[in-house]
Amino acid sequence: MLSIFKTIPTHMDYKGQKLAEQIFQGIILVSAVIGFVYGLIIEQFGWTVYIVLAGFAVSCVLTLPPWPMYRKNPLSWQPPIPEISGETSQKPPEGIKKKKHK
Amino acid sequence: MNTVLSRANSLFAFSLSVMAALTFGCFITTAFKDRRVPVNIHVAKVMLKNVDDFTGPRERSDLGFITFDLSVDLQPIFDWNVKQLFLYLSAEYTTKSNTLNQVVLWDKIILRGESTVLNMRDMKSKYFFFDDGNGLRANKNITLTLSWNVVPNAGILPLVAGNGHVSLPFPDAYETTRSY
Repeated sequence: MLSIFKTIPTHMDYKGQKLAEQIFQGIILVSAVIGFVYGLIIEQFGWTVYIVLAGFAVSCVLTLPPWPMYRKNPLSWQPPIPEISGETSQKPPEGIKKKKHK
Repeated sequence: MNTVLSRANSLFAFSLSVMAALTFGCFITTAFKDRRVPVNIHVAKVMLKNVDDFTGPRERSDLGFITFDLSVDLQPIFDWNVKQLFLYLSAEYTTKSNTLNQVVLWDKIILRGESTVLNMRDMKSKYFFFDDGNGLRANKNITLTLSWNVVPNAGILPLVAGNGHVSLPFPDAYETTRSY
């Protein structure tokens, strides 16, 4: 069971994560303002809560699944370097690694 | 924000914070409101008895019976931060042994959405008006006040005394009925 869930891709790229956060914050804040004003006018605080819950549901649908718009800027990874047995090509990476770990 | 669960977590936390802020706003918009309304109390009949009070020492205590009319419009009190009102009619008086006696004679709960206009005639008190001694006989200043607790959605629980109370003298003799 768990392995099936793990195969579903859920990640977003960095710009997508930022966009998702801005979208859900915007939706919830707007629904909060609308709900507050509406509840104040009809004098029912329950409606304020319902409207915020509706905003919560909408932003769940919009930002929880990794929609394509959140995956437009994938990181450009370096292409995998084929392992070469030559000594010259292996020396520089080793030197960098040693420095980093110190 | 990288996985569904972490996004759900931040979304939920943010929604809860916003909800808390809204609840506080609901409290702030009603915190400084004057919740007093005029009350009309009229006492129709007072009867005074001297009976055994089995709850206390075996002495005869004063027991008053009050029949009253009450009319009040509670509509101005209700707003979006009021769930219900707890109304109670209390009698205040001074005796030799105590400078302040308060006895609750009658109460009523008014829920949100119920009729807010009370217009009652010839109401009998719900609870016994027992004095702890003989302080009711010939007491010339017994004050009836209608007060209420405002039960809110959020915030403080105000206790408000209504505008308009009535003071009445009690009879000088037991077992007699006096009409006002």
